[in-house]
Amino acid sequence: MTAPAVTGASPRPSAALKRLTGAVTFLLPLVVLVIVWEAAVRITQVHPGVFPGVGAVMKAGAESIRDGSLWMHVGASMGRVMLGTVLAILVGVPLGVLMGVSPAVSTFLTPLFRFFSVLAGIAWIPIATLWFGYGFGAIIFVIFNAVFFVVAYNTLLGVSGIPITLRNAAASLGAGPWTMLREVLLPGALPNIVTGIRTGLGFAWRGLIAAEMIATNVGLGYMLFLARDFYRTELIVFGMVVIGILWLLIDRLILAPLERRTIERWGLVRS
Amino acid sequence: MKSLSIRNLSKTYFDPYAGKHVTAVQAVSLDVPEGEFVCVVGPSGCGKTTILNMIAGFIPLSGGEIVVDGRSVSGPGPDRGVVFQSHALFPWKTVLENVAFGPKMRGVPLADREAIAREYLALAGLAHAADRYPNELSGGMQQRVGVARALANQPAVLLMDEPFASVDAQTRMTLQEELTRIWQERRPTIIFITHDVPEAVFLANRVVVLSKGRVLKEIDIDLPRPRVWDALIEDERFKTLSAQVLQLVRSA
Repeated sequence: MTAPAVTGASPRPSAALKRLTGAVTFLLPLVVLVIVWEAAVRITQVHPGVFPGVGAVMKAGAESIRDGSLWMHVGASMGRVMLGTVLAILVGVPLGVLMGVSPAVSTFLTPLFRFFSVLAGIAWIPIATLWFGYGFGAIIFVIFNAVFFVVAYNTLLGVSGIPITLRNAAASLGAGPWTMLREVLLPGALPNIVTGIRTGLGFAWRGLIAAEMIATNVGLGYMLFLARDFYRTELIVFGMVVIGILWLLIDRLILAPLERRTIERWGLVRS
Repeated sequence: MKSLSIRNLSKTYFDPYAGKHVTAVQAVSLDVPEGEFVCVVGPSGCGKTTILNMIAGFIPLSGGEIVVDGRSVSGPGPDRGVVFQSHALFPWKTVLENVAFGPKMRGVPLADREAIAREYLALAGLAHAADRYPNELSGGMQQRVGVARALANQPAVLLMDEPFASVDAQTRMTLQEELTRIWQERRPTIIFITHDVPEAVFLANRVVVLSKGRVLKEIDIDLPRPRVWDALIEDERFKTLSAQVLQLVRSA
């Protein structure tokens, strides 16, 4: 067992052990998938142009790392996701708060936001390229859209879910509109906002890859599309693996812990 | 601490279930001089919580006037501190930050407002819980924090809306004794809403019995202080007063 090495670094051995078991149970199916994949390729003797083995994909990956093209594509994709997401949060959260403080407005807008939440992401690509042309603007628009509606809707849910007694308490302690926003509405809605960001980024990631296939000349989606033109199946598969792994890393290392932590501390009031 | 005066207060609202306008509070007048402890009792639906919500400024008046410290008030404000039935503490703030919230709203610097908060936490017997979060506390401790938070803002009047209704009987008695101790030390002006007759008689200088949105009777409680349950539970005067108030509430 490697557990003792891990527990040495952590104050709570049981927690570290739990995390290790969690990581193993999460990774095991993925390892099995790779083994099955390699075995299937060897047994069926499928043509590498149709589906390559693990070795060929790793070689293609190593090559793209060496010549720097992987970093270029990853960097471009991540930069777009970050910019689109930050813009969406900057617009979505204030709008969600605004809607959340007025029951009439939130009742009216809720169906609209549910409608657009479903549409978020890929469905906007055609119209985005019409409006913004092929390139940066269209992709940012698609990401913005994916995150914006989900974040705004979740902010609205969060704000309207804050018990009225908390707002009354703050008001009777002297809070004005701004302090109410900063001290009560935003922290009270934070668990929902974080959930919204996590869901929205999931849409955004899918939308990004799709948009990059159509509307640009750099990025992970473009990397897949380009590899197809050269019949580089192993590079396509490598790109797909990278897209999956990057999302898992973002979600499990940043978003999920962030969500867990805010909900754990705040959550007990939500009942 | 300053006085509170309610003149001809009334509240009517439209009841969608009954399909007509309902009068919840009718021409209620009440004077609470500085430093008095008044308990308002009455059965459910007598309008006591409605009156408190109007004084706090949470709901608009249909008629009448509320005067605090010589000024007519409308809307919530820091001159009227509120202790809620559900503790209403900010779950994302520590106990200390919760109690320091009022001074923070007044722009008191961090070190000063934390000193104020610690003083009032000590008053409520909670100095050890300063760095904990509300959801880590028992119901009784949460209500103590609620009292400390309201007092730390030094309101002209302290409005308490059945604050001990949802804690267990033993804790409730302790909280009641602590509240009378705090009142004797600091002499805040308090309006305390309850449906619990012994609680009202135990706490108050004066009990106001409410019925169908009107003041039925006001009874002065001349029991000596400090008041503790062990002594009062057998006290003849306490029994007589409780019986008298109970009879009024039941006839209401």
